[in-house]
Amino acid sequence: MLFLMFQLGRDRYVLDTGQVEAVLPLLATKQLPGAPRGVAGAISYRGRPVPVVDLALLALGRRAEPRLSTRIILLRYPSGPGKDDLLGLLVEQAVETIERDAADFTTSGVEAGMPPYLGPVASDERGLIQWVRGEALLTPEIRDILFRQQTAEL
Amino acid sequence: MSAGAHQMTTEGIVECWREIGVSGDRSCPELEKHLHCRNCPTHAQIARKLLDRPLPPGYRDEWTQHFAGRNEKAPEGEEIDSVLIFRIGEEWLGLPAAICREIAEPRPVHSLPHRRSEAVRGIVNVRGELLICVSLPALLGIGAVSSSRSTERIAVFPRLVVTGEETRHVAFEVDEVHGLHSYRAHERSPVPATVGRSAASVVETMIAWNSRAVGCLDAGRLLDLIDRSIA
Repeated sequence: MLFLMFQLGRDRYVLDTGQVEAVLPLLATKQLPGAPRGVAGAISYRGRPVPVVDLALLALGRRAEPRLSTRIILLRYPSGPGKDDLLGLLVEQAVETIERDAADFTTSGVEAGMPPYLGPVASDERGLIQWVRGEALLTPEIRDILFRQQTAEL
Repeated sequence: MSAGAHQMTTEGIVECWREIGVSGDRSCPELEKHLHCRNCPTHAQIARKLLDRPLPPGYRDEWTQHFAGRNEKAPEGEEIDSVLIFRIGEEWLGLPAAICREIAEPRPVHSLPHRRSEAVRGIVNVRGELLICVSLPALLGIGAVSSSRSTERIAVFPRLVVTGEETRHVAFEVDEVHGLHSYRAHERSPVPATVGRSAASVVETMIAWNSRAVGCLDAGRLLDLIDRSIA
């Protein structure tokens, strides 16, 4: 399986590339006033508004640094039965992909109290890598707000 | 993309390959293991640091405009195809990316005894696999692979293209490979009646590329044609 790697702080996380639509450079985002915490705004992708979640803000409480290696990962996000919407993830150090077996990932041992989007971990020579479950990134409330807002803008 | 990107500094980057590496005095102890700096993880790490620089001015706006642009001519959901564009003689042709296996450097073709067919050139060795090398000009009835290079272009390199179905690979030689090109269904245009002989049966559609017309080959018919020439 091919994974797209990024960093939150010093730690490395991966997303399943099967969920990834595209990786975009850091675009200017339009603010969404009143949007929940962690939402960086919306971008226009080929004329289609896409909400963007700043993962650094969501997980670490600080904005992602504006660098060349900070990118927006466009994720196909299941927004309803049989329906996908696009969700932008603003992440740092999105510069690498890795090939790993899904079976390499095992539970981290600390499941209770962790955000639901954090999945099992795998290790390599540089330490541990954690699998981020794209579909669990947003709570149902945030999801409703984001995708309702998007429909309203259209 | 951005004009600003070219003016970015490389400040704070230790250019160890210029000091103790292959461009320096070669005193780096790692060299023995990696032979060349380009194989060294330290080199890769430094290269990655280039992406840790702040955004050049105008970068965000330029990309934002780029991705906001809607391609008006292309309705959502229109089929996108990609082809490998290559040249034989004066002809530019497109091989469907789905049946493009590998581009390799040209290598000696070992002729097969007792074969008089012009279409089969012989056997080539591609990474240990012995493949039949066919002559696409002979198969398609187009001008032969020629060495006449237009002088205004700087350097062109002949290549060996490996194609075929998953389990049966076949190679052919081309004068030049441009690379992959994606196009949308509306860019296709019919094959002109002037495209003569057997080429017409294999060229499925024409697309415009770089102010040239590229004849895109039909995967199934091309492989059939190759199969028949080998049999």
